[in-house]
Amino acid sequence: MCGIAGILYKNSAAADSGVGKALIDMLDGCQHRGPDSTGFSLYRDPVPGHLRLRFIVGDGEVAAKAIERVKTKLTEFQAKIVEEEQRGSSFAVLVKFDGDLQKFAFEMEHAAKLSSIGESLDIIKDLGGAYDVDNIYKIENFKGTHGIGHVRLATESDVAPEATHPFWATGFSDISIVHNGQITNYYKMRRRLEKVGYFFNTDNDSELIAVYLADKLKHGFSLKEALKTSIEDLDGTFSFLVSTKDEIGYAKDKLAAKPMVKYEDDKIIAIASEEVSLNRLFPGRALNTSEPAPGTYDTWQRSISA
Amino acid sequence: MATIDLSVTTVREANELLRKYGADGIDVEVLNPDARHHIGVGLTHPINVHIKGSAGYFCGGLTDGPRFIVDNNVGWGVGDNMLNGSIVVNGNASAIPGVAIRGAEIVVKGNIGSRAGQVMKAGTLLACGNASFMAGYMMYGGRLVILGNSGEKVGQDMTGGDIYVAGKIGEMGTDAMLIDLPQKERDDILAFLDKYKIPFTGSFQKIVNAGKKLRYPKTEPRRRAIPFFESFADNSYWNAKVQEDIHVKSQIGRYRIRGYGASRPMPHLCDIAFKKDIRIGAMTDPDVLSKVEMKTEVGGRSGANPLKLSMPVMIAPMSYGALSKSAKLALAIASRLSGISENTGEGGMSKEQREEADQLIYQCLAGRLGWNIHDMQKANGLEIYISQGAKPGLGGQLMAKKVTAEIARIRGIPAGIDLRSPSRHPDVLGADDLVIKVEEFREATGYRVPVSVKLGAGRVRDDIKIAWKDGFDFVELDGMQGSTGAAGNEVLEFVGIPTLSAIQEARDALTEVGGLDMPVILMGGIKDGIDTIKALALGAHAVAMGTSAIIAGGCIACLQCHAGTCVTGIATQDPEHEKRYNVPVEARNIHHFLESVRWQIAAITNALGYSNPHQVTRDDLVALTPEAAAITRLPYHPEYRERDQGLLKAS
Repeated sequence: MCGIAGILYKNSAAADSGVGKALIDMLDGCQHRGPDSTGFSLYRDPVPGHLRLRFIVGDGEVAAKAIERVKTKLTEFQAKIVEEEQRGSSFAVLVKFDGDLQKFAFEMEHAAKLSSIGESLDIIKDLGGAYDVDNIYKIENFKGTHGIGHVRLATESDVAPEATHPFWATGFSDISIVHNGQITNYYKMRRRLEKVGYFFNTDNDSELIAVYLADKLKHGFSLKEALKTSIEDLDGTFSFLVSTKDEIGYAKDKLAAKPMVKYEDDKIIAIASEEVSLNRLFPGRALNTSEPAPGTYDTWQRSISA
Repeated sequence: MATIDLSVTTVREANELLRKYGADGIDVEVLNPDARHHIGVGLTHPINVHIKGSAGYFCGGLTDGPRFIVDNNVGWGVGDNMLNGSIVVNGNASAIPGVAIRGAEIVVKGNIGSRAGQVMKAGTLLACGNASFMAGYMMYGGRLVILGNSGEKVGQDMTGGDIYVAGKIGEMGTDAMLIDLPQKERDDILAFLDKYKIPFTGSFQKIVNAGKKLRYPKTEPRRRAIPFFESFADNSYWNAKVQEDIHVKSQIGRYRIRGYGASRPMPHLCDIAFKKDIRIGAMTDPDVLSKVEMKTEVGGRSGANPLKLSMPVMIAPMSYGALSKSAKLALAIASRLSGISENTGEGGMSKEQREEADQLIYQCLAGRLGWNIHDMQKANGLEIYISQGAKPGLGGQLMAKKVTAEIARIRGIPAGIDLRSPSRHPDVLGADDLVIKVEEFREATGYRVPVSVKLGAGRVRDDIKIAWKDGFDFVELDGMQGSTGAAGNEVLEFVGIPTLSAIQEARDALTEVGGLDMPVILMGGIKDGIDTIKALALGAHAVAMGTSAIIAGGCIACLQCHAGTCVTGIATQDPEHEKRYNVPVEARNIHHFLESVRWQIAAITNALGYSNPHQVTRDDLVALTPEAAAITRLPYHPEYRERDQGLLKAS
């Protein structure tokens, strides 16, 4: 039960686009929908031949042990740490790695609670509101072309950093989702995916969407095709956003039970649970917005030249 | 013309200003609305309000009289429950525009979102563009005019009212049908369009209810009632009740409906006993009331005016509709005499009830039956009904015999239908939406009135955490021993969660999230002061009594509450039957019963060595059965049973 937001600057060079600030504003605008925790999927400049990994490690002794496990595992895979940072409840590394990503991801998931892996994806999520998370991770000044974010009100699963959105599409570099709603065939779908080897970090039904999309992509579906099948395969009420290295997209359930509003002009596409979030980007302006119809999906690309 | 700038004024302050300008008859311009929620909520004066931009959720909701113009878009639930007045939206409207309106005119120049006009009662909702999924869902009356396309499942489960579509009609909803459009209605619509200066030359198709689901096809045969204690005294097979049940089902071919709650034996508060030795001498102390302080406040945790109860007891919510006006009146009088609160239940507030009850909680259910801003402002507490312990997850049922012209008028529905109220709130599809709904109620009443939620025990652990996170002032938690006016028998017996489990789960969940500051009012089979203290010790802040109060007021527990022919005049709307109910006598009886509860609370509190029933804790309790011990984690001490029975006799 939550609020979601996403933005993509269509043409701007990455360095000029204040994605961090935009996401903070939009998420703060719908913080009433989810005061427990807040998360961001940000896309940093890729370093060729390198991967970014972020783990939720907690703090104190627990964190130290988790970090030790992560480092041991990285050594096993001959992934050399180039940069590392421990902040809030998370530990992030930039490693030199060029092996089999899915195998690597699977093993890393067992070392500690893996938040994200990607050439540029960095999922930052923690307890508290958008400004609380910004205080720890300094997101406001982050420049980039696109990103998605989420505010969470925990209902069935725990209030914990790892149960916070966004969720990374396991095994698929740079793909993440945020979700508002409830997947009612969660256990059935989860069992099905677990049987073919997928690992679930949490009991959060939204993680299922990420893993579901990962599985479709693995089978050669395009992101758009995967969004299309998700509307048929997932049961319940949902509005979700997905982001990759170069695009963002959405899917909305057939029951139209959860809100979603989008604003698009020559420069940006922004989608949020409520117009009040979009209006945060343009104070004092009456926006020409629209609501995606029930049972629809779409994606938008940034221009790669950036 | 006054101006309010929302870039410098909060919505809460703005709404207070709007009410003030309203009282003075001054029109208002709202600048920089930026899609903020709750603009204009609770306004009851006929002023003009011009919103210069987009508004968020519930724009102009819970109002009577004002005329709004919104320059751009609106969020969910524009004009929610509006009685008179109008809202013109120049952009698009999001989901459930015109939800539960009772006479207002809502005009949207662009497209409208899903479930437009859900549970609307009267008035007009016009979309100049297209509608979306399930337009006119569960509407009870009024008209929905769509100049564009209808969207899928138009008219789904509508009960009354008319839908007119000028564009393409998508898939028709269940129990909706197309009929010819009378010329007069076309003229009326064109006059309406003209009034709002909307040019239109096309034609309309008309959709109405098909009438296939309004009544159960067969009613149950009349039989001599088998009373509660005979029906369920033991677990013998093929007893009289089981046979009757099979006979009736063989006639009607469906589930049976009855009143009251679960009757199967299941763990309850009688399986819990006090551990401490109770001095029987104390139980006969004539001054015991002066030795125990039991005043209890409920509902002040977020700054609203709390209910002030003379003891930790409330009257449980029961509707005017399920019960007769006389029975509700007796309960209201008794609640005043005993210094506790009364609750309207689901069917709206009657004037007489409001006059008699000192403290009255006003309940809002999914169908918004009898719900309006004026009664909200008269209430001492507002309660969002999610479900009840007897039938968690389901809406209320009121059989046709009880849906009289008067009841239909108050509730805003057609008379003479088997009313099956919706089980989901139109605007609450999750904890996130619920936050915004609660805020709307607070805005409408200037944050003065506590807002509570009534939960039927289902997934208590999750639900109670949501209630706490959504900032409710208290929760009324109802276990499966709680009664109801009508529900399917199998639902009553096999769906809910026992009251004992409910309070334990609630307590555990609130402890887990640090939410023990939110009071839980326990109900569902609370029969006396002994149960009350046990409930308090297990974590309740107070209890609510429904069945025991109506039994005190003459109910004979025949389980025929649904039939509408209650011989005591309690659960009926038939004036001939109601005549038998002597309000002053029954009010006095209920009051006497409540005073006996008070005395029991005092006597047991005192005998346990305390001066306030809120001092009693789990450490004072033991479980008498393995099941009760497993549910509550209290120590299992069956040897206390004898002493517990002695206590019942002594009190």
